[in-house]
Amino acid sequence: MDRRKIGIRHIEWLAVFVLIVARSLSVAAQDKKDAPRDTELPAKKKQALTALRRELPPKSQYFSYGSSDLDAMLNVEFRKLGRTPGEPVSDAVFVRRVYLDLTGKLPSPTAVREFVADDDVKKRSKLIDRLLDSDDYARNWARYWRDVMLYNSTVGPKKIDGKALEDWLADQFKKDRGWDTIAAELVMADGKKMEERRDNFLLAQDGSATLMASETARVFMGINIQCAECHDHPFDQWKREQFHQMAAFFAKDKYHMPDAHDPAKKTEMKPKFLTGQAPNAKANLKGDDKRIAVAAYLIYDPKNYWFPRSYVNRVWNELFGDGFYKVDSLGPDGEVLYPAMVNRLAVAFRAMDFKPKWLFRTIMNSQSYQRETQTPASASDRFATLRPTRLRGTQVADIVEQTLGDVKAHDRIAREFSFDPSIPQEDIDGSIQQALLLMNNPQVQQRVSKVAGELAKIKSDDELVQQAYLRMLAREPTDADRGRAKAYFKKVGQRGEAAEDLIWMLVNSAEFTTKR
Amino acid sequence: MMRSNCSVEAEEKTMNNQILLQLGMTHDGLVDRRRFLQVTGAGLAAAGWLNAVGLSADDLKKRNAACILVWLGGGPSQFETWDPKPGTDNGGKTKAIATAAPGIKVAEHWPKMAELMKDCAIIRSMTSKEGNHERATYQLHTGRAPSGALKYPSIGSVVAQELGEPAAELPNFVSVGETVGPGFLGIHAAPFVVNSPGELPANIAMTVSKERMARRLALLKDQNAELSQAGAGEIAASQQGLYDQAARMVLSPKLKSFDLKNESDKNRDAYGRNSFGQGLLMARRLVESGVPFIEVRKGGWDNHGDIFKAVPQNAGQVDPALAQLIRDLKSRGLLETTLVICMGEFGRTPKVNNKAGRDHYPKAFSALVAGSGIKGGRAIGKTNDNGTEVADRPVSVPDLFQTFCKALKLNPATEMVTPQGRPIKIVDEGKPVNELFA
Repeated sequence: MDRRKIGIRHIEWLAVFVLIVARSLSVAAQDKKDAPRDTELPAKKKQALTALRRELPPKSQYFSYGSSDLDAMLNVEFRKLGRTPGEPVSDAVFVRRVYLDLTGKLPSPTAVREFVADDDVKKRSKLIDRLLDSDDYARNWARYWRDVMLYNSTVGPKKIDGKALEDWLADQFKKDRGWDTIAAELVMADGKKMEERRDNFLLAQDGSATLMASETARVFMGINIQCAECHDHPFDQWKREQFHQMAAFFAKDKYHMPDAHDPAKKTEMKPKFLTGQAPNAKANLKGDDKRIAVAAYLIYDPKNYWFPRSYVNRVWNELFGDGFYKVDSLGPDGEVLYPAMVNRLAVAFRAMDFKPKWLFRTIMNSQSYQRETQTPASASDRFATLRPTRLRGTQVADIVEQTLGDVKAHDRIAREFSFDPSIPQEDIDGSIQQALLLMNNPQVQQRVSKVAGELAKIKSDDELVQQAYLRMLAREPTDADRGRAKAYFKKVGQRGEAAEDLIWMLVNSAEFTTKR
Repeated sequence: MMRSNCSVEAEEKTMNNQILLQLGMTHDGLVDRRRFLQVTGAGLAAAGWLNAVGLSADDLKKRNAACILVWLGGGPSQFETWDPKPGTDNGGKTKAIATAAPGIKVAEHWPKMAELMKDCAIIRSMTSKEGNHERATYQLHTGRAPSGALKYPSIGSVVAQELGEPAAELPNFVSVGETVGPGFLGIHAAPFVVNSPGELPANIAMTVSKERMARRLALLKDQNAELSQAGAGEIAASQQGLYDQAARMVLSPKLKSFDLKNESDKNRDAYGRNSFGQGLLMARRLVESGVPFIEVRKGGWDNHGDIFKAVPQNAGQVDPALAQLIRDLKSRGLLETTLVICMGEFGRTPKVNNKAGRDHYPKAFSALVAGSGIKGGRAIGKTNDNGTEVADRPVSVPDLFQTFCKALKLNPATEMVTPQGRPIKIVDEGKPVNELFA
């Protein structure tokens, strides 16, 4: 008999079994005083993780999924719609795109030139590999997930350490640990000390079992069940009771659902996962053990496709500018674009041990990812081209620093340009404050002058313009760019001043803060 | 569904035209309003209405009509504000006090507003169904429950578009604190968010001469046009719009409205030396400078516990500031053209819970309005003795938004056009509360 089925049917007693075994073991790690950052995972949790991972379906049957499978599936969808996919992207646009997507930074002028000149047919996939190995990749995606988890948290900086969570995530991404392990460690954490880096996800929920439940569903399953706290979900099948059964996992002890009308009246709720799985009632799980059970149902129940799919959808959303569905507010009845395709990708991701780098490699080496940008006019136009997207706050701050040097306004720029990464890109607007910051901020202006001064030392105007575009936009100027700049230099007369205006214009241009 | 490339191209073309059209109108002020209305096709109904009231769209903008929204975030309790029920099961500890308007009593925490009740009207029969903060906040800003993919604009954005000069030097919608955005109306109607009222906005001072800035901006415009051709038209257009707005703003002498240094100490004190009070004072100055919509937020009304301590504290800031705003507007002759709204996203449960708090209750709650043709000294509607139900003259959220339109002389049937070309009315349900005007 297929061991997968055993896993499905018996996952509830399995979770309990794991806990019983684990309880009898000594958990020395827990007792350590003055533990350093990232204390070892307690033995109990480690054991649970190892046992649970074995419950996943064997991988051999899915092993062959690759970039060409992805292209083939998408092309089938396009044929059905009579849609012609966009043109392949040029090397020059590609190199900036891949740098921004993986590292959140720009390629240096030299890197751009070398990449474009390189005639190795495998240069694109080699670049992807190289960047995936960089610290910048780990940092960029740690920042993304930090924002996903903490952007809307109302807990103040005295009770939570966002930077610590980011650092921890960066370490995990650097080592390419499975998304399963990362998620499991976050939801199984004690959520007690902000010094314990992985505790900060649960700390951000301010000790509220209901918030922990809804944030776990939102971040790791892409499901929004928040409304169901007070009433049955108006558009979806989530019931109020289900919400509070989910919340019961995160309460230290017994959990009570307040009556919808009479706050004095309360009903005790037993933990039950959104997918319907529940621990054996006799086990009477408490505290930590309940959150281990959450990890079991969330991550290692092969039926819970929400978990791998929400990760796949988020990464896809960042790379293509649109997701198969809105990244964090889907219900079972919500609309999914090309469900067969995203489900297949999710299954393959799980079969590949939830390795983030595998997913990046698979998507980014596809022809689909390597197309030109064009804002899709409607949902059915999605993925035929890539949507041009706005860079996130820290990315803008980083590239300002990268191109202009230390502006001493990094955090300020990051804050002004920040947005909730769970909001669809198409709904994100700029602000006048952002414009004012790059237009007038004295520190930024000082660096603009400095950089222009350096460039003005270049003898030929043409070379100066070329260097300016390579530095600021990571591409060669087009003929139109050159013509415009030349006319401008002539009009202004003073070369130094014109160069300063050129740099100012490039840092303020829409292209500077856009990934295309 | 099959769609030929031909129709896709046609659709794209229409979209691009619309983007250009909006840009032309809002950012350069080159296309006059009337022509814009005709071109979009949505204008016919609106133009008819304008003729009927003898106003052209341009006249509408010159009326200096304005609106200040005082937003009490979290859901203020009706029992502790405008609909006290002392001595009943659900009244709690809150006492009622008499006001300048005979027969109207308000909660004891609002003595200064009580003195001005002849200038204000209360709606005690607000009713809706949305008890979630985020959704209800959206609903009480847009007039619509959130649903589907279409994002409706906040009333602030609607007023900015309909009453604001497209080429105004100051933003047409200023908000102290983050708020609901412009939805499908787009960036030109977005709120300009101020976080520390009283000071000039950051980075407003130019570091180069006017002439040089103009030269730089022209160069920038050409570069952004380039990006449009490279498949990022929407981002390029929205960015260009922002820079046009920002450029007008940095050059404007009206910027001093943001700066409270020129206000007398006495007046600043009367508003209260806190962010909320100074925000309301700034709001009055912005109204004088022609900004048609200002929102000022005061949070802290989500009192699930200890409500009888929390409300007096919050009201301690809001009562004097709001009263001073109304007095100040009135003495300057601005109250006649300025609508003041004070409300939150819902009310609170009649029954006091075991933490001495009240929970979310959208079924029956209150709002306060003043100015712009609203007749003061009256209370609209009633709740029953326990405050559990609306007993008389229910006012729905669309009714309330119809009322705002009536006060601001906006035609609620005016169609706003989404980027996809779909016409959407400002409000499409409900009826105004006419008793407020008679």
